[in-house]
Amino acid sequence: MVDCGPECEETLRQIEGFLDHELDPDLRSKIERHLSGCGSCTDRAAFQQHLKELVGSKCAERQLPDGLKERIGQLMAGGEPSGLDVQPSA
Amino acid sequence: MPQTTAQDDPALRARFERDVLPVLPSLYGAAMRLTRNPTDAEDLVQETYLRAFRGFAGFQEGTNLKAWLYRILTNSYINTYRKKQREPQTVDGPDDLDEWYLFDRLGAQSVEGSAEDEVLDRIPDEDVKRALESLPENFRLPVLLADVEGFSYKEIAEIMDSPIGTVMSRLHRGRKALERALWETAKERGLVDG
Repeated sequence: MVDCGPECEETLRQIEGFLDHELDPDLRSKIERHLSGCGSCTDRAAFQQHLKELVGSKCAERQLPDGLKERIGQLMAGGEPSGLDVQPSA
Repeated sequence: MPQTTAQDDPALRARFERDVLPVLPSLYGAAMRLTRNPTDAEDLVQETYLRAFRGFAGFQEGTNLKAWLYRILTNSYINTYRKKQREPQTVDGPDDLDEWYLFDRLGAQSVEGSAEDEVLDRIPDEDVKRALESLPENFRLPVLLADVEGFSYKEIAEIMDSPIGTVMSRLHRGRKALERALWETAKERGLVDG
């Protein structure tokens, strides 16, 4: 595991919530303060941030396939679409 | 008395088209990662569109439309496609969570002239998608919702109808499982020495 003190341990334990912007402001500032002075934790944080962004960008789809575009277009033009029996969503 | 629908209210219908159509590409992406094939993904998006259209009068304007649509998508997927695909509903993630699985392994590589995270950039998009799709569904969904769609823990909890603690734990385990899958992919691609 990581060879460092309790501050590093806490930072690394909280790093996921930190990168997800889910920490309360006090804890967030504490983690930020630690990161600003600790290269080892900063490297790890930067790696996890990069990984998160990479998954986000490589797994996204930016457009609809033509067939689906056409089907949605038909649904829009026809008002209530036919052929599918779907109950209203709650 | 029949409920007002987007069909017989032109203003509602216009708002539906204005607000929902831009979300369809990302809904399709999520549908692809969930069903893992284009035919089912297209059907799932169409079904989501229809359910949303019929339920739109009950949607409160100003609340979270994107989360509402993803909840419909997720429920439709669970009700229709998961049955069809016969995937076990609960699958355990890795037991021995190695908190720095990928960082430690990439760090141990002597990759000439590049930082460890540059190896990740060289994994083709399709392989990263396959890696995500390889996760058991209850871990795949929170990772997809958090890292691809950018939802908060609270929104994911609402979409999945799960307690927030469950979401956080599955998200964490899902991310670690994804790191393992990416490491295997990098090895198969010859990007790292395994």
